[in-house]
Amino acid sequence: MNKLIPKLVVEGLSHHYPDEYTGESVHALEDINLELYEGELVSVVGPSGCGKSTLLNILAGLLPYNIGVASVDGEVITGPGPDRGVVFQEHAILPWRTVARNIGHGLEIRKIPEKERKKTVQDFINLVGLTGFEDKYPHELSGGMKQRCQVARTLCADPVVMLMDEPFAAVDAQTRITLQEELNRIAMATKKTILFITHAVDEAAFLGDRCLVFSARPGRLKEIVKIDIPREKRVWADMNTDAVFIAARDKILASVREEVSVAVEE
Amino acid sequence: MQSRSKLDRLLWSLQQLMKIDAMNIVILVIVVLLGWSVISDNIENPARYLPSPIAVAFSSVDMLVKGLLPSYFSDTLVRLIIGSAIGLAAGIPFGLLLGLNRTVADMFHPMMNFFQSVSGIAIFPIIVIWYGNSDMTVLIVILYTSFFPIAFNVLSGVREIPLRYINATRTLGASRFQVMKDVLFPGAMPHIATGSRLSIGFAWRAVIAGEMLAGREGLGWMIFTGQDADKTTEIILGMVIIGFTWIVLDHYLLRPMEERTIERWGLVQR
Repeated sequence: MNKLIPKLVVEGLSHHYPDEYTGESVHALEDINLELYEGELVSVVGPSGCGKSTLLNILAGLLPYNIGVASVDGEVITGPGPDRGVVFQEHAILPWRTVARNIGHGLEIRKIPEKERKKTVQDFINLVGLTGFEDKYPHELSGGMKQRCQVARTLCADPVVMLMDEPFAAVDAQTRITLQEELNRIAMATKKTILFITHAVDEAAFLGDRCLVFSARPGRLKEIVKIDIPREKRVWADMNTDAVFIAARDKILASVREEVSVAVEE
Repeated sequence: MQSRSKLDRLLWSLQQLMKIDAMNIVILVIVVLLGWSVISDNIENPARYLPSPIAVAFSSVDMLVKGLLPSYFSDTLVRLIIGSAIGLAAGIPFGLLLGLNRTVADMFHPMMNFFQSVSGIAIFPIIVIWYGNSDMTVLIVILYTSFFPIAFNVLSGVREIPLRYINATRTLGASRFQVMKDVLFPGAMPHIATGSRLSIGFAWRAVIAGEMLAGREGLGWMIFTGQDADKTTEIILGMVIIGFTWIVLDHYLLRPMEERTIERWGLVQR
């Protein structure tokens, strides 16, 4: 594992866009600098409207940008590409494809022969715990299972970086806790480099090796909180008594709350 | 036992069919035929103005024996099949291509709506000026009438596909063509089914009109020349066949296909 060369680099990234209704220039991101190293899971947290989703869309290549540079493995981002997999908040798996065909879609796009595909797809189905649901359609799955399917689809395409946009925001609280622990396990098993965007402080502290706190609009990188807990020790049952976790969470929470009050006063 | 109950069910459903649909239709047809006969019997010169159903039936037997009817019928049907097949084969990809880009899709939407509202008949004069009274003219009008309804429907369908499906597929590394094949085409499936049925329906009307105005054979031509030759029986016969063919085509082929597609997709796209 090369800790010195980052997988994802963002330098001096700012973003303005005209408001849909008023036409006024909205200042969404201001001078963002960040680096993601191999195998690292970095969470991004901030008040709503702080531009964290804008950042993700830029990194995904879905939103053009012109101030600053973002690159993956040294290649400047100019559009969507299979080097960056995205897990969206809303269910974005295709409703007319079965679970297995959704998960294998990335390989299908890359024209991997079906025989080879099958084995890889099955591995990821097993990894996310969807064994037995291969031939089901998305409408037959629960919200949590749909998100598992989306995570598997993204991983199966083997991206350099996985970008996650509040992927567990729309599922119920019980499921969310399970999915967080599952993602921790998957991060451990696959050693993927992950950028995880969320508005939930607990989630950011539980999952992140580092947590980036964004300021209210225009989004700036306000603070970086390191969370030094080995992945194998990250289980919700132990977190309530884990001093490191509690300290990190409180620090993030305090930082975010300052920003929320700023946003409210404006 | 199994086959026994299957037979029972078959008989039962046949009875049901007879009870409601078939019986009603038979009664209706008898009433219409009777009314028609009565009017025909009570006017002067019925051979010119309204021949009786029996006269029409005789004329159809006559034309069948001479082989004219099968020949006209197959001419018209072949024109419909060729015209609407090309229309659909061009219209579906065209709608999908326009749908690739939301801005382009929004831009073209009103224009497509405009063209699908200018009916086949209304473009006839200009096509006749361009191509004369030829088979080409008839084919172009059929193409035109079947192309726009399907293209417009596909475009509408594509516009309704949630953007997140397109974005998610693009982030998997899909090219524009792959997005079209894997997202836009299946996503617009219900609209493709509805549009196809509409297109073929319009094409059927256009074939008849086309044969009347610019053709030299086919059902449309048959009823058109029937007027010149004072063969009212042939005119009525042609009209009956045109209507009947469409009912059979629509009821047994197009509608079931459309319903099955929409039903299946409705189940999937929840």
